[in-house]
Amino acid sequence: MNPSTAVAVTGLTVRHRRTVALDRLDLSLGPGVHGLLGPNGAGKTSLIRVLATVAAPFSGRVELLGGDATSHRERTGIRRRLGYLPQEFGYYPGFTVREFVAYVAWLKEMPSDRVPAAVERAVRRVGLGDRIDAKMKTLSGGMVRRAGIAQAVVNEPELLLLDEPTAGLDPEQRVDFRSLLRELGTGATVVVSTHLVEDVAAACTEVALIEGGRLAFQGTTGELTALGGVSTEGNDSTTHAVERGYTAALRAHRTSAENAREALR
Amino acid sequence: MTAPRAPRPPRPSGPPRPSDPRRPPWHVGDALALRYAQGAAPETDAWSLEKHVESCAPCATRVSAAVRAGAAGPVLAEVRSALLTSLGHRTASAPAAPADRATAPRSPLGRGARLWWTVGPALRGSWVVAVLLVVGGAFGLAYGAGVQGARSLLLAVSPALPLAGVAVSYGRHADPLYEITAATPSGGLRLLLTRTAAVLAVCVPLLTAGGALLPPVAGFPGAAAWLLPGLALTLATLALGSFVGCRPAAATLGGGWLLAVTGPLLGRSEAGGSPGAAALTAYFSGPAAQGGWAAAALACAALLALRRRSFDHLEPR
Repeated sequence: MNPSTAVAVTGLTVRHRRTVALDRLDLSLGPGVHGLLGPNGAGKTSLIRVLATVAAPFSGRVELLGGDATSHRERTGIRRRLGYLPQEFGYYPGFTVREFVAYVAWLKEMPSDRVPAAVERAVRRVGLGDRIDAKMKTLSGGMVRRAGIAQAVVNEPELLLLDEPTAGLDPEQRVDFRSLLRELGTGATVVVSTHLVEDVAAACTEVALIEGGRLAFQGTTGELTALGGVSTEGNDSTTHAVERGYTAALRAHRTSAENAREALR
Repeated sequence: MTAPRAPRPPRPSGPPRPSDPRRPPWHVGDALALRYAQGAAPETDAWSLEKHVESCAPCATRVSAAVRAGAAGPVLAEVRSALLTSLGHRTASAPAAPADRATAPRSPLGRGARLWWTVGPALRGSWVVAVLLVVGGAFGLAYGAGVQGARSLLLAVSPALPLAGVAVSYGRHADPLYEITAATPSGGLRLLLTRTAAVLAVCVPLLTAGGALLPPVAGFPGAAAWLLPGLALTLATLALGSFVGCRPAAATLGGGWLLAVTGPLLGRSEAGGSPGAAALTAYFSGPAAQGGWAAAALACAALLALRRRSFDHLEPR
C-alpha cells in the first residue's frame, strides 16, 4: 500500500438491519480535501462512520492511516490520529468552549502539557477565539458547529472526517470554513461529506460521488466539472459547472447500473 | 468557575475577629488597597479586606493590581511564571495588568476538572436528586408517617437505582457527546466502566448508610444486603447493554426487578405488619440468596468481558 494513502477501503459493505447502505465499495484517498457527494440516503454518513471507526463494516477491508480499522489494537492507535465531526452532536451545556474542546483532547489521549495551547489554537482556527470562555449553551447554532469543528481538529489529525460541517453556517462563515479546509488539506487527508456542490467547488481538490451505496465517480474537481460539458447559457459560473458535472456523473452511473441489471436478466 | 483569587501575603496569626455584621455596600478603596499592598494596613482592616475579596471580584482585582504594582509584584510574577511553566503553560506570560488576568490561559486540565470529566455526565443532577428522594422518602415514611417497613422498602428499591444512573450516563440517548467519544481511544467500555464506578461510588454509601439509619425490621436482613443484588443487576445491565444498548438494558432489568419486588410488597401489606418483609427476605437473606447474586455478578462480569469489543462501535439504535 502506498504510505501516503490514508484511507484504503476494499469491498466495504455496511448494512442497517435489512437495507444495504454501502455495497462492496472500493475507495482510496490520499492527502488533500476530498468532497463526498451524493443524494440523500446514498450512504455518505454510513461511509464516514466506518472511516471514523464508530461503525463496524458488515464485510470488507478498512485500512486507515496504515492500520487495520477492524483490529482493536490498531484501532486505538488510529483513533488518536483521527478527527471526527458527526452530522449531529451535542454538548454538555455547562461546559465552556475551552472545556468542550479540551475534554475531547483528553479523550483523544493527547499529552496534557500540549492540551491548553492546542485547544486555544483549534478554537482560534474556527474563529471562536473571542468566545472561548463562553458557555456552549449560549452559542448560536453556527458557533456550536464551529466548536464541533474545533474539537475535531484539536489533535492535528492526519485523517479528518467531517459529516455535513457547513450545515448551519452562514455564507460568510462557510467562506472562512472553506479556507480552513484548504489549509488543513495541505498536510492531512480531509473527507467532507456535503450536499452543497459549491462547498466542493470552492474547497475540495478531489471528489467522490456515492449513489446507492456504490462509488459513482472519483476524480478531481476539474474532472467532475468537465463531465458537465460546456454550458449553453451565458452566465455560467464554477458552481453551475460543477453541478452539471455532478448531475452528468449521477446519470451515467444510473444508466450503467441499469444496463448491468439488464444484462443479468 | 471561581473568580480569580487575589494573591495574598501570609495571613497574620492571631484569633479571627469576632464576626462583625458586614454592611453590604462596603468595598475596598484604593487607599486601603495601597496600604494593604505595602503591608501598612492595620491588622483588623487587612482581615476585613481579605474576607471581602474572597467574594467580591472587583475588589479582588483592585487589590491584585495594587499588590502587583508594589514591591511584591516582580516576585509574584516570577512565582506565577515558574508555576505555569511547571504546569505546561509554555506560552503563558505573567500578566502586566489586571485585564490580562481574566484572559490568561487557565489550565482546562486541573485535577478537579480531570475527575469531573472522567465522571462526565454520570452524576446527572436529576439522577442524584432521584437517589436522594428515595432515601429521603424512606426516612419520611419511617419517622414522619411511622411506617414500619420503610427499611425493607428502601432495600427493595436500592438495587434498581444504580441501573438508572448507568442509563442516564452513557450511550446514544444519554450522552450528547456519545458519537464524538465513540471515535476516541478513551471511549467505549473504558468510559462506561468509569461512569458506572462513579454511579456506584455515590449509590453505595448513600443507600447503605440510609438503610442502616432506618429503624430495623424484625427478621429482615441488614442494610448491606442490597449490595450484591445491586452489583449483579448493574453488571447484568452492562452485559445486556452490549447487545441492545444501555438504556433499554437498564429499563428492562430495572423494571423487571421493581416488578419482582412490588408483588410481594403489595401482597403482604394488607395482611398487616411490615409490608412484604418476609417475602422480600427470600431475595436478600441467607447464604443461598447472596451466593446466588454473587454467582450472577460473576457470570455477568464474564459475559461483559467476552462482549467488551462491542462497545468499540456505536450501540444499536
